[in-house]
Amino acid sequence: MPNSILKVENLKKSFQVAGGLFQKSQHVNAVIDVSFEIEEGTTFSLVGESGCGKSTTGRLITRLIAPTSGSIVVDGKEIATAKQSELKHLRQTVQMIFQDPYASLNPRMKVKELVGEPLEIHTKLSKDEREKLVLEMLEVVGLNAEHADRYAHEFSGGQRQRLGIARALITKPKLIIADEPVSALDVSIQSQILNLLKQLQQEFKISYLFISHDLSVVEHISHYIGVMYLGTIVEIGRKETIFNDPKHPYTQALIASVPIADPTLRKKKKVLIGDIPNPKNPPSGCTFHTRCPFASDICKQAIPQMRKINEEQSVACHFVN
Amino acid sequence: MTSPTTVQNSQVQKKQRKYSPLKEFWKSFKKQKAALLASIFIGLLIVVAIIGPYIAPYDPFEPDYDALLEGPSASHLAGTDEYGRDIFSRLIVGAKISLMVSFSAVFLGLILGTILGLISGYFGGWIDKVIMRSCDVLFSFPDLLLAIAIVALLGPGINNVIIAVMIFSVPSFARLVRGATLNAKENVYVEAAQSMGASHVRVLWKHIFPETISELIIFVTMRIGTAILAASGLSFLGLGASPEMPEWGVMLSSGRDYLGTSSHVVIMPGIAIFLTVLAFNLIGDGLRDVLDPKIKNN
Amino acid sequence: MTEHVLQVSDLETSFMRDKTEIKILRGVNFSIRKGEILGLVGESGSGKSLTSLSIMQLFHGTTGKIVKGSIYFNGEDLTKMSESEIRKIRGKQMAMIFQEPMTSLNPVLKIGKQLMEAIEMHLKLPKSESKHHAIQMLKSVGIGRAEEIIHEYPHQLSGGMRQRVMIAMAMACHPNLLIADEPTTALDVTIQAQILELMKKLKEENETAILLITHDLGVVAEMCDKVVVMYAGQVVEEADVFELFASPKHPYTKGLIASVPKIGDKKEVLDSINGHVPSPQNMPKGCKFAPRCNQVMSICQEESPPTVEISATRQCSCWLYAKKDVEVNA
Repeated sequence: MPNSILKVENLKKSFQVAGGLFQKSQHVNAVIDVSFEIEEGTTFSLVGESGCGKSTTGRLITRLIAPTSGSIVVDGKEIATAKQSELKHLRQTVQMIFQDPYASLNPRMKVKELVGEPLEIHTKLSKDEREKLVLEMLEVVGLNAEHADRYAHEFSGGQRQRLGIARALITKPKLIIADEPVSALDVSIQSQILNLLKQLQQEFKISYLFISHDLSVVEHISHYIGVMYLGTIVEIGRKETIFNDPKHPYTQALIASVPIADPTLRKKKKVLIGDIPNPKNPPSGCTFHTRCPFASDICKQAIPQMRKINEEQSVACHFVN
Repeated sequence: MTSPTTVQNSQVQKKQRKYSPLKEFWKSFKKQKAALLASIFIGLLIVVAIIGPYIAPYDPFEPDYDALLEGPSASHLAGTDEYGRDIFSRLIVGAKISLMVSFSAVFLGLILGTILGLISGYFGGWIDKVIMRSCDVLFSFPDLLLAIAIVALLGPGINNVIIAVMIFSVPSFARLVRGATLNAKENVYVEAAQSMGASHVRVLWKHIFPETISELIIFVTMRIGTAILAASGLSFLGLGASPEMPEWGVMLSSGRDYLGTSSHVVIMPGIAIFLTVLAFNLIGDGLRDVLDPKIKNN
Repeated sequence: MTEHVLQVSDLETSFMRDKTEIKILRGVNFSIRKGEILGLVGESGSGKSLTSLSIMQLFHGTTGKIVKGSIYFNGEDLTKMSESEIRKIRGKQMAMIFQEPMTSLNPVLKIGKQLMEAIEMHLKLPKSESKHHAIQMLKSVGIGRAEEIIHEYPHQLSGGMRQRVMIAMAMACHPNLLIADEPTTALDVTIQAQILELMKKLKEENETAILLITHDLGVVAEMCDKVVVMYAGQVVEEADVFELFASPKHPYTKGLIASVPKIGDKKEVLDSINGHVPSPQNMPKGCKFAPRCNQVMSICQEESPPTVEISATRQCSCWLYAKKDVEVNA
């Protein structure tokens, strides 16, 4: 892919979970063999339900946690194995927006300190120069200069998320990892923030890794999508292709399960049976086989490989291939 | 539709009064009547300690053989001791010594304990184990015994008393700060700071340490009371201040012999110690009611 | 009207904070018929959860109380009942399920015990029969291995299973009214679909009326027969579900529907509603939505709009639809 800002290959992360008195400690494979690329100025979404590993993937890319194996190349630099001290460049190029607008901002800091913190860390600008940039950024995200002297808790959820976005943008990063950035917001505020994110992408040519469980939001904001289930990507490709013609049975079920805000489109749903398996005890072979309407013997035995179906879509499924 | 991204000013402007954490604190603290009274008392005490030597009616070291062991009167508010020295003046100058010793000891213990607690809680692993085990060792000794042992090693004297009290304060501070650090570490904004590349020092100083301050303040005020008692205790045992100094513990000790006949020699410094320690404890209680997040969230 | 299972009129609920009364619900009106699913839609601060708590009179430990209005359930006014009378109704004729099954199920009691407790108390069945009834209920909510589940604790079950158990507990006594407060918000999408199908099935089988409280318009469109939209403690619009989505009348409803991203929509920019919900202490004069309304008129900032009956199935609280003889300055 030309101009890829992020390239992830065979990323793997397993956690050691302490055992109890009668249990050995276990491995939980949170992320298993994940690969994808993000082009400059585009949005790639990781979508999936609980335990799929999308949030863990986001934190691996910012190196808040270290991968067990695999490669992560950000803006041309391999960072999967880099030491913490070598990661300064990464931390300027990649910034994060968090889900909870109430918890992700330090309640004791004034807005101008909060938004200016990345500048304090990465640049040698004076306090006044930093403040000037902060005020500019506040305007960009739709807030006002006079908000700079206030504390975060004086703002509403939507405004606080804007502050989080301002903070993420201020070092002019090339990639922003947004971990469920609108899930905690009301619907009418959600749309404000989504519009803002799109506008900022066009203006500053930022790429987004957008992590969400909400398919409607993902469909609206993405260019490319990766659908995750229990640690692996089961289908990946252009948004339009995946939504118009999903190939993996899980993707089909996921899209079909989303309630649509239009009563005339009510249909008798083919509902997936069973619960999402516990990542500590995943099924053998293709982890989806326990709930898949098309499961056969090979699905229980062998893990399906990711195969390219067409230019815009790749699927990991025995049934499809 | 109007511009989808700008936020109307009016919403935030409606909060007319400017929010300030100090103002909020003062508003709540004012309601703690006992603590307020105690703070006034301590405030006065500090003032007295500072200007003491200048306002003391008599020279605390000057004996007056004509006025031995006189009870409280108009000329000697707290009476005189076995050398005819004015007890009230000695109490005033003694305040300075007591406060100075306890403040320094606690302050030093605070700094060392906080640093150890932050490191222990934030980094975890083997460094946490080492620090905590060392603290456990110190904890296993009763406070006063430990202080006595240290002073015995270092020799008597007011400076060594400060060191001894400091040493036995460190583990408590370290443990307190470690607990607060473990809690603070879980906050999402700490993760946010790490993800934007903040150094460990920065994360500890800007994001974690502030979370420990309220608990520290409460603890410090309580601890000063303990320190005063410890210092007085050591001096009482002859291990601290030298006998002619007007330190309250020393005054208690030398007044022992006169308990039956002129009890005021013992009672006066006793009251001074009692009131001061009580005041600090009351302030600590009041601060806790205002600052402790667990109580606040009711 | 006897065919209404629930009829809420002019409900006003307040809380006390630092000796001042803060009014949260400012006159809520709606009714539910037997076997009907009514959707109560609103965002945070709309008062929808408080409405359900008011109906169930669940104010213990808080300073909340109903200050005005009536709640007629099966012909009786709940606001005039004593606590013991309401307790007989709660759990039996009227049941509630919550958003977080983990916090509403007792973590130290086995599932079977909790279910049987509800059954024994309300249906007065002996222990031997109540166990059998409990297993039946668990099976009816789609839990296959019911005999094993009754010996397990809540934390051993997944979110979807716990929600099913909650529904089983709620339906165990065949209530006339089920109040479901954001029942699927905390669940994954594929599990949400299962639970919604389950609720529909149970409604068909038992003719239970359901008050479904949610912020998710998709869920409303899938499930509900009638919809009531709330904003800042008041009802702003009430309509049949098809009518509501086809032609919303109130500017807030319009804004809400327009700001939801829908799969298949090719919108580049989502419509949004400026500003945010006012806090109960800072309510604007007149219409509470006026500061954010893109069709605001001067009268909106002066007086609260009346509830206008647009049709037999449609009501809207908005000056845009008020009678022509009212002086309205555009």
